[in-house]
Amino acid sequence: MPITLHHYLVLSALLFTTGLLTILLKRNALAILMGIELLLNSVTLNLVAFNHFSPTPTEDGQIFALFIILIAAAEAAIALAIILNFYNNFSSIDPDRAQTLKG
Amino acid sequence: MPLPSTLLLLATLLPLGSFTLLLFTGKRLSYPLAGIVATAFIIASFACTIAAMIAWLNVTPASVWGAGKGPIFLSLPWLPFSLTPNHPSSLTVGIYLDSLTIALFAMVTTVAAAVHVFSIGYMRHDPRFHRYFTYLSLFCFSMLALLLSSTLIELLVFWELVGLCSYLLIGFWFEKRSAANASLKAFLTNRLGDLGFLIGISLLISHLGNTSFPHLWTSATEISPNTLTLIGILLFTGAIAKSAQFPLHTWLPDAMEAPTPISALIHAATMVAAGVYLTARLFPILTPDAKLFIAIIGLITLTIGALIATAQTDIKRILAYSTISQLGYMMLAIGVGSWVGALFHLITHAFFKSLLFLAAGSVIHAAGHEQELSHFGGLARKIPVTAATFAIALLAMSGAPFFAGYYSKELILTHAASFSLLSASQSAPRWYALFFYLPVAIAYLTPFYMTRCWMLTFHGRPRNLHLFARARETWILYVPLILLAVLSTWVGAKGIGIRELIERSITESNAYCQSLTSHPNFSAFSTAWPANLPIDQDLTPSQQLMEQGHMLTQTRVAYAWLAGILLGILLYLRGFLIPNLLLKFPPLRWLHIWLYRAMYFDELYHLFLVGPVLIASHLANFLDTHVIDPIVNLTATSIRSLANLASLNDEFVIDASATGIAHLSQNLGSLSRSPQTGRIRTYILLLFTLLTLAIASTILLLY
Repeated sequence: MPITLHHYLVLSALLFTTGLLTILLKRNALAILMGIELLLNSVTLNLVAFNHFSPTPTEDGQIFALFIILIAAAEAAIALAIILNFYNNFSSIDPDRAQTLKG
Repeated sequence: MPLPSTLLLLATLLPLGSFTLLLFTGKRLSYPLAGIVATAFIIASFACTIAAMIAWLNVTPASVWGAGKGPIFLSLPWLPFSLTPNHPSSLTVGIYLDSLTIALFAMVTTVAAAVHVFSIGYMRHDPRFHRYFTYLSLFCFSMLALLLSSTLIELLVFWELVGLCSYLLIGFWFEKRSAANASLKAFLTNRLGDLGFLIGISLLISHLGNTSFPHLWTSATEISPNTLTLIGILLFTGAIAKSAQFPLHTWLPDAMEAPTPISALIHAATMVAAGVYLTARLFPILTPDAKLFIAIIGLITLTIGALIATAQTDIKRILAYSTISQLGYMMLAIGVGSWVGALFHLITHAFFKSLLFLAAGSVIHAAGHEQELSHFGGLARKIPVTAATFAIALLAMSGAPFFAGYYSKELILTHAASFSLLSASQSAPRWYALFFYLPVAIAYLTPFYMTRCWMLTFHGRPRNLHLFARARETWILYVPLILLAVLSTWVGAKGIGIRELIERSITESNAYCQSLTSHPNFSAFSTAWPANLPIDQDLTPSQQLMEQGHMLTQTRVAYAWLAGILLGILLYLRGFLIPNLLLKFPPLRWLHIWLYRAMYFDELYHLFLVGPVLIASHLANFLDTHVIDPIVNLTATSIRSLANLASLNDEFVIDASATGIAHLSQNLGSLSRSPQTGRIRTYILLLFTLLTLAIASTILLLY
């Protein structure tokens, strides 16, 4: 059985759902960060897959994937810095604690 | 200002100064000092009066003040007003001074000085000694100012002031309930008379615009005779109350609650005579009808006063009723036209009656404030000077020859006799003869009741030994008595000139009465006697008639004094023994009880005047509590209910709408705030849900 575009898309959808559920259900900022990575990866997978199966030969998807990895790295750096600061202020990394601006 | 008026004004203001001084410093002055200050001022006042009298008598007819050597009339505008828009007028105040004023000033200041001296001794132990002299000074000022007044309005002011002093002094021992009641009675009775007086003055002002005596005498003819009769009677009403005439005489016996020197000065010599003075001043404008009215009132008064006096047992009440009787004589004199007789008697009476009262005061002082005759007896041995002076006053009052009362009473009776002869010759009603015969009968009774009083006080065996043992007199009490006794003997004599002064007053005042003398309704003061008569103005008794009257008086009353005194001595030689035997006869006993209870006047007034007023006041009270109060309460309650209603409206409509809007916005706020949970994951869930829905709906819409 050849591997078609649908296989990629279903995997991507599974990855995306897992990432989303992680974000929604976890109370740990690091876990949420991982969830976000999953989301990014599912999107990257989507882009690479679409590029591969595109009728016209192009490298746009590949380049986009590189950008996303780059941004993900930057994001992780910033997020980890935020989490450290958050921990300093709240002695916890549960993002639900961040309610001081609530009206 | 002419000299006599300046001096008299000074004499008037001196007691006012004493009043002011004592008012502010009296409390700090020790026992006799307040009395001495007041006495010094009144003696200075007396000296001024004497100086004024000398100045008045010594001026030659050629020198002038006023019109020739006429009366001094000074007038100052006081309150401007106008009866009609075109005729601005003003109430005036001022001084009217003629020989009569001088004579009365001399009388008042003399008696007042004697009373002041007497009071220092009499009021010795009183805790309110200084206040007594304060009031006394105020009274002297008011009385003198009253005599000096030129207008009726001004006179009314001082008339009320003497009334006030009388009220204050009757109630001087206000701790005694009877004294407080008596002062109230005197005050209210006088208000009743003053009401008439005030209406009379108002009528005069509305007709003439000015009430000064000269103005009245000049222009009384402008008023119709009927109105003038009414005015005369109304003005006389004031005199009825003030001079204790029937039917308003009942306050005077009760006024004996005052300290005895006050009774002597105010309620015998001066204030009660003010009514006679007023009537005498109004004499020229009195119509024959008004005069007849005055004569009848005087006749009734002199009769009942003397009758009641015979049955009283309180020494001061006897004197009070005799004062009423004598005042009745004066009013009768004015009524029958004996102007000189009335005023002459006023002055002589002032001296002997104040002497009687002061002597009675000396007795009461000696007896430790006992006034009932049943406790006295034989006091002549203990207080001989008082007994002797009392006897002199008694003779003067009885009309014994060569004593003051003899001249004045004889004058009045002679004029009354001529009057009744004249009315008989004019075929007037038969009862006009009473105007002569009743006073004559009373002239027999007067010495009798006075002798009775003397006998029961000074003669016989002492009836209260304890009181008799302590009785004594001091010099400060009997020096004034001796002074007044001398005057009572001497003041009526021809050479002294009191009568001449009064007669001169007629010619002086007559200058103002020209229009009256030429008018058919009036004859003014044209002669001393008769000025004008209650029967016919044109008539004047001929000389012959006058002599007949004189003869009649001589034969009827020449020995009345002796008869009365002898009867009194015979009946009361053994104390109450013989009279008590006589009273065993029922008719006499009934008469005695009737007279002893003062003819039941007080009871009658209580029944017919005081009672209805009390009932009316209770009724008014009932109306107040049961009709007016409920109405007021109902109003209050209804307003309160209305207020409650308004408060409910406030609470449940206005407040509710305001809070409702607030609640609404609050609820809306919390509703819109509820999604803002602050939990990121909720937002994300929402975000993705909506995103999913949006994509799903787009896909559905596209395919």
